[in-house]
Amino acid sequence: MARNLVGSLVLVLAISLCEAASIFQPISESHRSAALELFTPADGSFGSLEETYEALRTFGILGIQKKPDIGTGSCQSVSETLESSSSTTKDLFFALKVNSILECKIDEAIFQDITSRLKAVVNDGNSLLDFYYSISSLVLIKDQNSRVDVLLGDADGIFRSIKALSQSDGRWRYSSSNPESSTYAAGLALEALAGVISLASSEIDHSLIVTLKNDIVKLFDSIEKYDDGSFYFDEKLVDAREHHGPLSTTSAVIRGLTAFASVTSGTINLSGNKILGLAKFFLGIGIPGNSKDFFNQIDSLACLESNRVSVPLILSLPATVLSLTKKDQLKVKVDTVLGSSAPPLTVKLMQAFISGSKDSSVIETQELRFDPENAVHLLDVLPKSVDVGNYIFVFEIVLHDSVDKKVYTTGGQTQVPLFVTGVIKTDNAEIAVLDSDLGSIETQKKLDLAGETSVSLSANHLQKLRLSFQLTTPRGKFFKPHQVFLKLRHETEVEHIFVVGNSGKQFEIILDFLGLVEKFFYLSGQYDIQLTVGDAVMENSILRAVGHVELDLPEAPEKAPHPPARPVDPYSRYGPKAEITHIFRAPEKRPPKELSLAFLGLTLLPFVGFLIGLLHIGVNLKNFPTSAVPVTFAILFHLGIAAVLLLYALFWLKWDLFTTLKTLGFLGAFLMFVGHRTLSHLASTSAKLKSA
Amino acid sequence: MPKLPLFLILIPFLPFLCTSFSPENPSSRRVLVLLDDLALKSSHSVYFKSLQSRGFELDFKLADDPKIGLQRYGQYLYDGLILFCPTTDRFGGSIDLAAILDFVDSGHDLIIAADNNASDLIREIATECGVDFDEDPAAMVIDHTSYAVSETEGDHTLIASDDFIKSNVLLGSEKIEAPVLFQGIGHSLSPANSLVLKVLSASPSAYSANPKSKLSNPPSLTGSAISLVSILQARNNARILISGSLVMFSNRFFRSGVQKAGTLTKHEKSSNEQFLTELSKWVFHERGHLKAVNVQHHKDGEADEPSMYRINDDLVYSVEIYEWSGRSWEPYVADDVQVQFYMMSPYVLKNLSTDKKGRYFTAFKVPDVYGVFQFKVEYQRLGYTSLSLSKQIPVRPYRHNEYERFIPAAYPYYGAAFSMMAGFFIFTAVHLYNK
Repeated sequence: MARNLVGSLVLVLAISLCEAASIFQPISESHRSAALELFTPADGSFGSLEETYEALRTFGILGIQKKPDIGTGSCQSVSETLESSSSTTKDLFFALKVNSILECKIDEAIFQDITSRLKAVVNDGNSLLDFYYSISSLVLIKDQNSRVDVLLGDADGIFRSIKALSQSDGRWRYSSSNPESSTYAAGLALEALAGVISLASSEIDHSLIVTLKNDIVKLFDSIEKYDDGSFYFDEKLVDAREHHGPLSTTSAVIRGLTAFASVTSGTINLSGNKILGLAKFFLGIGIPGNSKDFFNQIDSLACLESNRVSVPLILSLPATVLSLTKKDQLKVKVDTVLGSSAPPLTVKLMQAFISGSKDSSVIETQELRFDPENAVHLLDVLPKSVDVGNYIFVFEIVLHDSVDKKVYTTGGQTQVPLFVTGVIKTDNAEIAVLDSDLGSIETQKKLDLAGETSVSLSANHLQKLRLSFQLTTPRGKFFKPHQVFLKLRHETEVEHIFVVGNSGKQFEIILDFLGLVEKFFYLSGQYDIQLTVGDAVMENSILRAVGHVELDLPEAPEKAPHPPARPVDPYSRYGPKAEITHIFRAPEKRPPKELSLAFLGLTLLPFVGFLIGLLHIGVNLKNFPTSAVPVTFAILFHLGIAAVLLLYALFWLKWDLFTTLKTLGFLGAFLMFVGHRTLSHLASTSAKLKSA
Repeated sequence: MPKLPLFLILIPFLPFLCTSFSPENPSSRRVLVLLDDLALKSSHSVYFKSLQSRGFELDFKLADDPKIGLQRYGQYLYDGLILFCPTTDRFGGSIDLAAILDFVDSGHDLIIAADNNASDLIREIATECGVDFDEDPAAMVIDHTSYAVSETEGDHTLIASDDFIKSNVLLGSEKIEAPVLFQGIGHSLSPANSLVLKVLSASPSAYSANPKSKLSNPPSLTGSAISLVSILQARNNARILISGSLVMFSNRFFRSGVQKAGTLTKHEKSSNEQFLTELSKWVFHERGHLKAVNVQHHKDGEADEPSMYRINDDLVYSVEIYEWSGRSWEPYVADDVQVQFYMMSPYVLKNLSTDKKGRYFTAFKVPDVYGVFQFKVEYQRLGYTSLSLSKQIPVRPYRHNEYERFIPAAYPYYGAAFSMMAGFFIFTAVHLYNK
């Protein structure tokens, strides 16, 4: 897991810092604005004294004047914490830390009181954190109030009991009952031991300090390394109660180391490279996003800047992209990690070689001119031998003063990747259509790749298309860019891309359409020609529509491959659909009402004719019965007929068939009866008449 | 074990503590963030903070943490997943490719950030989402004409792209002024997948290749076919964001100024923060999530819904559509909601008018074709969740007594029949009693 973690961190760093051989920029203005953003107090105070201390310390190191005003509120909570008897050593520690910056008014009696409490903790402490907080607090009291007696009587004993928690590999345990060792704890232990030394009333046994120095060297043997030359410490055990990442672990070790180095005499045998690597680790993080990481970064860099082992100097370049055409100067800055100026020194340009090739250096060793006004080292003109391309420049820092050589570490040679860019000239660009068998030129056109020319050509499958051009660098050499593409795009958006090859002096591509018909899916028609020439060091990269060629390709055979499906346009896919309205069946055509009425009149005419006919022949009703009973039956019979007719009318108007038939059943039976009586009466009357 | 009693006390309250994803409250709330390295937590903190400030509970875990899992006892522990672990070959715990696909299949959201050297696992997840990353592990998107001008980065892999998808629901209503910085691997969209969309595309001069090696064959990805950031909305409305760059989410890119090559305007700040924050709002369903309620239809002039319509009836159809704003349901206003009156194919397709308070309505005449119809609202718009409503309703023809009567054209027939009947009546009397 640790390996994986390292690997990924490398990746993050590699990406954030562009190349393996990275340049590290010292702390700059962007850190200051980020600090103000990260440490913003919520209604007048930070959450806890720990956060207050981190904010104040960060502002102090970065020299931020415009810091938020939190003095009174914080002083109040400092004195509350110091006065309260229930505060833990950790609370006291951070309260004193805040006080060391704000210098609040605290009674001497309070200091006396705390000191005796802390001393008691120190004397019967058994866990590392107890030792660390109480001893560091005593050191802080010593600095804040000189009248309080904080010196430890039995410094040797305390030293030994802290040392007893150390492991053979230089790491520490948190307490004697906890077998797991931790690098973070080693940092705390070193700081506590440094405190013990400064608080000792009598000289500490020299042999103890020597063993401790050996421990530190052992601890630094377990340092881990990134490819870009930065070093860091990582916690081996992951399942600890409080896990510390590489950043906080490394910064704890650095705090411990610098505290220890400042209270002991003599040198600690650590390589300057590792110190520089640690500085690079913190600078490589960039601007952390949370306040804790930010504080750890800034605080550790501050420790490194003033440490007694060796002070790292950072070589940085404001710009690593230099333009030959604009005659950019090569500028190199050498600063300490926090961006303050370095002692007098000279920067030497040792070598420069084209990246990726193991060729010998293209330039001779030369010293850069120092410009005291801007505090930069300059190379006024790039040597003639440096053309456009990617280079790796090797610098070395030479300190003028031999005393400085002991104080500072420069890390030997520094490799810096440089991009030298320039405007590339295009010449002899021409496009031609050739006859395949003879190779004779059918049409040839000159191209101006910088201007706005557009050619139109036509060719069939037996011909060839040739495009050629030359590229030269500002130094007059032949230039081979990374990206030289010729793109043919058919009207149906089928694209074909060709890499234009180079033959020594010029770029040339010959498209033999006979061999390409299949690749072109037998699609005849207009093809747009687009030429792309680009490179990282080419300032005038070209993306040009050259023109178009009208291709006449043979008909596709049956089994020819089909061009790929076109991607769906998202805008049209999701658009609203066209409205649909239903077309209703047209109503039947009807005659005008007048015509219907006329025909109604016509249909009534026969009835009228019938009535007139009856009158004309002089009908009478003399045969109507005269006696009472037949009259009743006759009337009922005709009423019945009228009722049936009325029933028909009702059926037409509103009744359904069932009601009608039911009624008709009754009416029919009734009619049968009365009809029979009436007709039999009529029959008997006529029989009488005949017989009479 | 002092935590155990507290846990036991909390058990009865668990249902109340879990304010999770539900149809009524569709925003994701609990998000698992898998990282390669915990340092990302601080280097990408602005992005995470913007999520946290919007109420998401982010749970940061290392991708190979053996204790991670997406579900326990059949219940999903998270509503969203952020994979900021491009190099992870295998997840720890119970998470694997199938678990992630199941997670998405059950309607949860996913953000994937890859990088060059992305592991096969991340590539496989992306492929399942219809996105194919360049197969060359060392390939990066290179653009020699629309790169971001920088004093220190000269290999033109830092791209300033401003070719955004035109959609307010995806990118917010505020216009994105500055280009977005991108550095990483390009991908192409699978043509077979119609749900995946390019949100940020590369410029026509871009190509995907290894910047350190010479090109002999044309690169597989070139021009605007390269997608830098893509999204996918699955049919179950799960949303996925796929980016080929992890560093574009970082604080460094969020804060960095940007000047696109060839232009003179130098923007103070890149649009990465705006672009990615707005996209995250979309991914986590704070925008573009619609619901349709209260579908009503009735005959014109009536209030109750009939069980059946007759051909040629006039009817009124209405539906209410609301959009989730992250906190509440707001009326959705658009002019392109359409209703279909559908039997095998739409007989009527009509735009709905809106009262701007969420209600959409229209009136139309039932076609003169009978059968079983459906009212269908198929609302699929770029970036919005799709609405698919259908309601079945039969349409019957006229009954026998519902046709038109006493048509003037039939008067001659009426007249003929009645004159015949009158004649018959008279004739019976005359015939019987004439002497």
